[in-house]
Amino acid sequence: MDEVKIGVFICNCGDTISKSVDLLDIRARLEKLADVALVSIGHDLCSPQAQQAIRKDIIDNGINRVVIAACSPQLYGDALANLVEKAGLNRHLLSVANIREQCSWVHPDKDKATKKAMVQIRMAVDKVRLQDVVEQAEVEVYKDVLVIGGGIVGMEVAIELSNLNLRTTLIEKEANLGGRLKQFAALYPLQVTPEEMLTSRLKQVTGSENIDALTSAGLKDLSGEVGNFTAKIRKGNEEISRNFGAIILATGYETLFLDKVYGFELGDNIITQSQLEGMLKSPGEIKKIPQSVGFVFDICDEHSRISTPSTLRNALVIKERFGSEVYVLCRNLQVDGAGLEKLYQDVRNKGVIFFKFERFPKVLRENGKINIQVEDLSMAREQVMLSCDLLVVEEKVVPHQDFATLESMLNIGLGPRDFYQEDNVHLYPTSSTKSGIFFAGNCHQDLDLGRALTDASNAASEAYQLISSGKMRVEVERVVVDPDKCALCLTCLRFCPHDAIRIDYEKKTAHILDLACQGCGICAAVCPAKAIKFKDWSDDQILAELEVV
Amino acid sequence: MIIAERKPLEDIKQMIAQYKKILLVGCGTCVTVCWAGGEKEVGILASQLRLAFRRDGGELETLEATVERQCEKEMVEELKDKIQQVEAVLSLGCGAGVQTIADRFEETPVYPALNTKFVGMPEREGLWIENCGACGDCFLDRTGGICPIVRCAKGLLNGPCGGTNKGKCEVDPEKDCAWTLIYRRLEKQGRLDLMRKYYPPRNFQAVVRPGKIEAQRV
Amino acid sequence: MTTGVEFLPCIVAFCCVHSAYQAADAAGRMRIPYPENIIMVHIPCAGRVDTLHILRAFENGADGVVILACHEGACHHILGNIRAKERVERANALLREIGVDGRRVEMRTCAPNDGSRFARVCHELEEKIKELGPSPLRKHA
Repeated sequence: MDEVKIGVFICNCGDTISKSVDLLDIRARLEKLADVALVSIGHDLCSPQAQQAIRKDIIDNGINRVVIAACSPQLYGDALANLVEKAGLNRHLLSVANIREQCSWVHPDKDKATKKAMVQIRMAVDKVRLQDVVEQAEVEVYKDVLVIGGGIVGMEVAIELSNLNLRTTLIEKEANLGGRLKQFAALYPLQVTPEEMLTSRLKQVTGSENIDALTSAGLKDLSGEVGNFTAKIRKGNEEISRNFGAIILATGYETLFLDKVYGFELGDNIITQSQLEGMLKSPGEIKKIPQSVGFVFDICDEHSRISTPSTLRNALVIKERFGSEVYVLCRNLQVDGAGLEKLYQDVRNKGVIFFKFERFPKVLRENGKINIQVEDLSMAREQVMLSCDLLVVEEKVVPHQDFATLESMLNIGLGPRDFYQEDNVHLYPTSSTKSGIFFAGNCHQDLDLGRALTDASNAASEAYQLISSGKMRVEVERVVVDPDKCALCLTCLRFCPHDAIRIDYEKKTAHILDLACQGCGICAAVCPAKAIKFKDWSDDQILAELEVV
Repeated sequence: MIIAERKPLEDIKQMIAQYKKILLVGCGTCVTVCWAGGEKEVGILASQLRLAFRRDGGELETLEATVERQCEKEMVEELKDKIQQVEAVLSLGCGAGVQTIADRFEETPVYPALNTKFVGMPEREGLWIENCGACGDCFLDRTGGICPIVRCAKGLLNGPCGGTNKGKCEVDPEKDCAWTLIYRRLEKQGRLDLMRKYYPPRNFQAVVRPGKIEAQRV
Repeated sequence: MTTGVEFLPCIVAFCCVHSAYQAADAAGRMRIPYPENIIMVHIPCAGRVDTLHILRAFENGADGVVILACHEGACHHILGNIRAKERVERANALLREIGVDGRRVEMRTCAPNDGSRFARVCHELEEKIKELGPSPLRKHA
């Protein structure tokens, strides 16, 4: 190997860093370190002029590893790597010491801050000395997307992708597209009827050349990785095999009546929200118009984004259509969601009466009527007896029954509430734990319709970003397994959170899939044979950094 | 696969208390797979011992090595140079590994850092269970591939005892009753007639120690 | 201490780039000071930290080690923080075997935007290690 020549470039960030860090002292001490060939102090290394100068310094001095002591690499890490690359070095041969955010800005005492900055830069020097080259490559990926679930969200995803000029295969297990939307009587607070929404989406789906909608179809098998999935789709007796670059799950949710929670069973005049929706959808089923209707919710799920709007919506439909007395009983009512506050006001103005309770009301069946005894907390704080012809109860929103099969087929996990586990709820809410698989709609969170549609767009744009160019840049062998050391113990395979490890039984070694690997380094930490090397964070590098202690 | 686990630190410390410089030797086969004696564990034990010596006011120097299979004479040969530099060897291999090194380097004391426990398989990551007793007279053809000799707490050969309870064992209610598993397996295969056969107690006195197998020339 | 010099603990903090590292940046932007004797090791995920790294930090003279990870359920790598917790527990046990207070190794969590929590955690760690005193595992002078 060539002689290691490390260049250290220190940024003064408009004279702010030198206020608390003695850069000259640091330069003098750095110059004494082994392998350090050049130490230079500059102003505003983020400026094009300064970057040009660094490039020249690197080339002229034959620098082959670079340390930049400046602001957080979260800000300019990528730009600095590009700079190193432009100077003819591999972009990984760079280590950034964060002496601004993590030193000069927080440590006003000059002696102490200087000491810490020196430690930080020394760690960067020790780390970059042992850094391996990691090449990047471009791989071809399929530009087709598989959308699983032909409900409104799945359709929306397909339409979005089609508008972005990506081809989509949309599979729906039922005979018709539309899913749950077909059952809804109204979509308040949205000012559009379910029929209108469905018709317009269906028109777009069927009218698009980019969308191939397969109904009565299901996923039978899936292999491959991000950019190159192969799906076997069963449609009737046919089996279709297609390649996809990304997959979006829009499998929705199901509902379940929990008799244990309510302490009574469903009967003629006690029905669930979904049963009510069925009745409102086909009026022929309503034998007698109910004079008074009660709704109970916020029981199964605390503040559900699905049952709160549907209760308000159906209460309004009943009021409008039959003019019945309507009572809504709930533990609490939270109107978070576009238009929900207004819907609540409208419902109240139409004469729907709300009761807020702490203890679950007593429900008694008497002579074909339902008597509800509830303590009214909002007004008189006394027991009120309501007599209803119909009581509508909330159901629990549960994962779709296809979850288990899809979960094992796609190798993704379920989260704490048994919905699909997102990569990170805050940072990457539509990404799954596996690269190239995304979620849209209620399969991973409970969302009202407006939010679910936004979620569909988000998922579509995530997928678009990933594969639309037909190419993906990938770090080649950033994490490598030494086949001589690998004992095929399967520990890494069992610990990898992204399903990015495979066992090559011919070569008798584990190997990391570059495209699927997301660079956490868990495999390198757990490998009992120390056969796995994470080139940006190798054991040697971390131990060398710890030498400063 | 051979499953082992590390001895308590106190025991290891006592063994090597008199030394200033030792070699820790891992093994890249079974004990790597069961997380007891691979290169990673060698590093951790070496570090822990150095810290422990320092805690007691002393200092210990360590060398580390991991060989592919400690139970092979040829494979431990590579330790030669390192062994010359140390006073003793601490082996993180199974008992066979310890003895192979001890045989090859007779002048150097070799100490075991692990307790060799059983022949087993991983149930999930980090959990290994014994499922073969290495009894020398395999019985699995009669029991649907489930060994009652080790997996039944009482080692029964002719069906469950009275303590089988809804598929669990009376000795340890966490564990499955091996004979319930055997029954279910044989039922699935339509071989329940095997349950009716009587097998006389086995004569373990006939087992010759040390075991020896000479294969025919290949 | 006997010398009369104030004990300045040396603490190694492994900072996950998805949480603590960014939280430290946030603390910087808000100019919230915290002890400068905390050596921050930048790691891609708390799950990268090996038990050996923790022990080595003590060998090199650290008085305390902390893994600063994402809050439970918010790990970018799903279980990286859980793995780190397991290793902290193992390191605790290994230290106790040696006869050293296992509290010298700890795992704490913070959100990437929570600069004030980061600073507060650093202060708390320093206080704790000050109470425990210098590590008995430091190299003999």
